[in-house]
Amino acid sequence: MSNNTFGLVARFDSPAAVMHAAEEVRDAGYKHWDVITPFPIHGMDAAMGLRRSLVPRFTLVGGITGFTLGMLGIWYMNAFDYPLAVGGKPMFSPMFAFPVSYELTILLSAFGTIGGMFILNRLPMHYHPVLKYDKIERVTDDEFLIVVEARDPKFTPDGARKLFQKLGAKEISDLEN
Amino acid sequence: MSASHAATVSHAPAEQPRLVNPIVPLGVGAAGILLTLVGAFMASSPEATTRVGYSWLIGMTFWTGLSIGILLLVQIHHIFDAGWSTIIRRTHEHWLAVFFPLALLFAPLVVLVWMHPGFIWKWTDIAQVGGDILYTKKSGFLSRGAFTGFTIAFFGVWIWLSYRLRKASFAQDVDGSADHTRANRVTAAYGIPATALSLTFAAFYWLMSLEYHWFSTMYGVWFFASCIRGALALTTLLCIYLVSRGILAGIFRKAHLLNLGNLMLAFTVFWAYITFSQYFLIWNANIPEETFWYNIRETGNWWNVGLILIFGHFLLPFLFFLQHPLKKKNGSMIFICTWILAIILLDFFYNILPAIKVDGAHGDPVNFHVTPWDVTALVGIGGVCFWAFFNSYAKQRCIPVRDPRIVESLHLHE
Repeated sequence: MSNNTFGLVARFDSPAAVMHAAEEVRDAGYKHWDVITPFPIHGMDAAMGLRRSLVPRFTLVGGITGFTLGMLGIWYMNAFDYPLAVGGKPMFSPMFAFPVSYELTILLSAFGTIGGMFILNRLPMHYHPVLKYDKIERVTDDEFLIVVEARDPKFTPDGARKLFQKLGAKEISDLEN
Repeated sequence: MSASHAATVSHAPAEQPRLVNPIVPLGVGAAGILLTLVGAFMASSPEATTRVGYSWLIGMTFWTGLSIGILLLVQIHHIFDAGWSTIIRRTHEHWLAVFFPLALLFAPLVVLVWMHPGFIWKWTDIAQVGGDILYTKKSGFLSRGAFTGFTIAFFGVWIWLSYRLRKASFAQDVDGSADHTRANRVTAAYGIPATALSLTFAAFYWLMSLEYHWFSTMYGVWFFASCIRGALALTTLLCIYLVSRGILAGIFRKAHLLNLGNLMLAFTVFWAYITFSQYFLIWNANIPEETFWYNIRETGNWWNVGLILIFGHFLLPFLFFLQHPLKKKNGSMIFICTWILAIILLDFFYNILPAIKVDGAHGDPVNFHVTPWDVTALVGIGGVCFWAFFNSYAKQRCIPVRDPRIVESLHLHE
């Protein structure tokens, strides 16, 4: 196995076939692998054994940061750094700081979500070895791929190839880095 | 729809022996109503009788509010041509049988406005409020005739819309025509504005006018938010119950439960947004006719009730519904839906009860307290609602089997 091998790719021609194949690859214990489909397939997350996305954690951190920043910012500006009485109201009250904090909660939640999605997907990614696959355009239309990466500890070219053959792959090819 | 599918639905409605006999909730309801009446007539003082009247108003507000929410959910389903909620919609339609009984149960309050002016709504006693400029300026709106006429009209709108929606949906079970779906979409198109207006003015007449000096433009939206939240919680409980009885087993799936949970998250935030906005605008403008409503709710133990509402009505459900796994478990959803219904009831206490003053006039409100008659009124009216629901369930199918979108709903995925 040369260092130039990214992994092995198998092509399937129906959502049912790729779903079944994904379950088998999952059960075979592979960790670094992916399914590439032209459209979302219901139940694929479970078939691949994926956990729920961690993006909501980033959203939560963003939201809490936004709320805290809003409250602290208004307290600092209106009650601490330059005390300012407006309309007979207290120098600081969570009441009037609330709309701003709420907006900042939403804004930073959105930033957290987008940022988290970029970080977890390692975006931006301008090149991926699977783009070299000669029938990649079919995978944007009506065919389905499973890619097992060479860096997977369980990966051997023969083992993966045999598994794909057993699963009825339409075509199996090597992928270069 | 295939021929074989059409053949399977041509049988008479399947037997549903596992459901509660409608006589049971009717008996419970009648007992509750009778006990409440006993409470009213045995009361030791006029104030105690008035308090029983308030129990009845709280019970009516609670059950009517939930039912309005369900009426809106059905119409929202139709106007958006929704697919996923088709199987839930039939349970809603069965619940919509409640409006006629509710109208009859509301009637005593209207009769009392004429027989005992000022019994619940102070402004109905013209002799008492006639010299009050803050009343006379509103007397065109707040008159006994308008109150009576509009209350009849509100129930008329709800009964009429429920009748239309139910009739077309049940007729579709028989002939399978898509025309019924279209007819219901048309009903929803005019029904949603009609329901929105009627629930807003119902909230003005029944709840807001308890303090006739006070006014809030957010009040109708606040009532709407409570109605929808309560309706979603009630729907979830009913569906989980029907699954446990085998009626909706395999039909009402985890994906439906999750969708209901997501909607409840949305309306939890919506309720908080509306309720905070009402408080914030009044706090900021600082006008005495408006602020007194919140001032009296900071006296006595109402302060604590207010805090319970902030944390229990908003924060707890909000944090709960952010947890994806909790929205897919029956047990946790039963807990939070029961909690939401209870806290909505507390919110109605918070809105209604402080209208009773310690000195009977304009002083401090009575403290928050629950009487046995609150419980009997709630159980009495609720029992009648469940009677109407189970009665309808026994007569018609449990899902709209020939709805064009039924297959989509049966195969709902997350």
